Amino acid sequence: MTQARKTVGMELHHAIVSHYSAEARMLQNQQYREWFDTVIAEDIHYWMPVYEQRFVRDRRPEPTPGDAAIYNDDYGELKQRVDRLLTGQVWMEDPPSRIRYFVTNVEAFETAPGEFEVFSNVLVHRNRRQSEVYVHTLGREDKLRKAGEGFKVFNRKLILDARVVQDKNLYFFA
Amino acid sequence: MNGSAALVDNANASQSRRVFWDQDVYQLELERIFSRCWLMLGHDSLVPKSGDFITTYMAEDRVILSRQPDGSLKAFINSCTHRGNQVCHADSGSAKAFVCNYHGWVFGQDGALVDVPMEERCYHNDLDKSKLGLTQIRVETYKGFIFGCHDPEAPSLEEYLGDFCWYLDSIWDTPDGGMELLGPPLKSTLACNWKVPTENFVGDGYHVGWTHAAALQMIGGELSGLSGNRADMPFDDLGLQFTVRHGHGFGLIHNAASSIHVKRDGYVKYMDETRGAVREKLGPEREMLYVGHWNTSIFPNCSFLYGTNTFKIWHPRGPHEIEVWTYTMVPKGADAETKRSMQREAIRSFGTAGTLESDDGENMSSATYNNQGVITRRGRMNSSMGLNREGPHPVFPGIVGVSFIGETSYRGFYRFWQEMIDAPDWAAVKAGDADWDKMWTNRNFWPDRLAAQQAEPQD
Repeated sequence: MTQARKTVGMELHHAIVSHYSAEARMLQNQQYREWFDTVIAEDIHYWMPVYEQRFVRDRRPEPTPGDAAIYNDDYGELKQRVDRLLTGQVWMEDPPSRIRYFVTNVEAFETAPGEFEVFSNVLVHRNRRQSEVYVHTLGREDKLRKAGEGFKVFNRKLILDARVVQDKNLYFFA
Repeated sequence: MNGSAALVDNANASQSRRVFWDQDVYQLELERIFSRCWLMLGHDSLVPKSGDFITTYMAEDRVILSRQPDGSLKAFINSCTHRGNQVCHADSGSAKAFVCNYHGWVFGQDGALVDVPMEERCYHNDLDKSKLGLTQIRVETYKGFIFGCHDPEAPSLEEYLGDFCWYLDSIWDTPDGGMELLGPPLKSTLACNWKVPTENFVGDGYHVGWTHAAALQMIGGELSGLSGNRADMPFDDLGLQFTVRHGHGFGLIHNAASSIHVKRDGYVKYMDETRGAVREKLGPEREMLYVGHWNTSIFPNCSFLYGTNTFKIWHPRGPHEIEVWTYTMVPKGADAETKRSMQREAIRSFGTAGTLESDDGENMSSATYNNQGVITRRGRMNSSMGLNREGPHPVFPGIVGVSFIGETSYRGFYRFWQEMIDAPDWAAVKAGDADWDKMWTNRNFWPDRLAAQQAEPQD
């Protein structure tokens, strides 16, 4: 973020925000296959590291992909997660739960021709069964590249705000 | 409580639903189980050097575990002896002292009170610091795994693990150093009684094919045949089930250690290279355990899957909630890349977003919360699968059940649970050492079965 780089122009910013809206819509509608096929690049690294609570004076490095992470997936591994949801035998998702995404603070930088680094905030609201409600907030750091008319993500880092997850699971895509 | 016969019925293998719900039962558990048993704190690998510490829980009590300059370990209650403030808020780190944020009292890495602000000017040196150290906890280790206990009358950790050491040694005392834990832990809350996941891990081979049908299909491999509980599976030949005197137990699936891992070349190679030495050191029976897949609980609230290598502590938060901590357990002797790969596979299947673990959450919470209804709560729960197809075994210590799909380990878990709940102290528990397994009445099950198998013509 300290690099001297410019945010993208209005038109590109609009295109990226629209891309995120379409992505959220597909996930909200359980169109997992479409989501996977249209927005995930084959060289994806999909990563949600575990951040410990550490003292400010602690000089140990930040987590790397070699450390514990809730998601640490390549293309094939992400596909397995999608396939599981589509088997029709995930009892917890039958009847399906409701998920709603609120994506804000989108800030995009062009890092190479047709490649973008994009930061966003994500609020995820999940409802299931009669009255179960779960809320998660995350920071999202993406690397997108132009693909046809749209974009594909080839690097996604999801930074969870809660140390202790207040939910049965984190089996959703963000 | 007037005895616990109504809560656990050993002869008929059933439990009252109240054990998942009632507040008074839970209070008794805190006093008679969690304040008396050895509880899992971690592993040497999490606090390798002097000054290294982690904060963790023993049931609902916050504790600090700290490595001392002489290499020993100390654990103490994470609450200031002045006005009770939590002393340390970091998950882990390195510290020679812990300073309470409220008034600045300073505790050494051994928990002793070493300094207080304005001791001379405002306490006039009248404060007896030697009596104000953080409350100490007994700490003992077994093959690098660190346990804590609040009860001075409790047996040693090794006696508490008892016969289970024989089993644990086949994975924790292997020639190239046994196993260690990788952190930091994943943490999440789950609205369930702590016993639901514990019983699930100790003895529930049955749910695998149904609950995890989707994930098993997706993973493929050895265990995909379990998906849907197909009738043509030879379940009695696929594994065994074990329980011991102090409630620990596990189910074994033969030759399936790495089967949940998708990318497992390094793990398979490691197992192939090490099993011979295990056979040489521990014998063929424990080589069989070494290459199998285990679903295990160490009484009361630590569980792991050996093979898949997820490692869990279920910290209770009242009768209806737990905080789940998930580590990865890996062989010390494996190379760094293999350990990383095991960690990724273990978390992908059994972490907070686990492809299998995510299937279980509702089973856990629903089995708890259905008991909100008073009529529902008057009912009982059944754990009779395989009753009498189990007994003492000429080779394996404890009680052995014939299939990994059975409820032998449930019965052993609840038998000990009831014994602890009924016993006023450890002396009363120890008095039951000689005939703890008398409820398993089919004493000749294994001698007869093994003799019959020997008599069968070999083809």
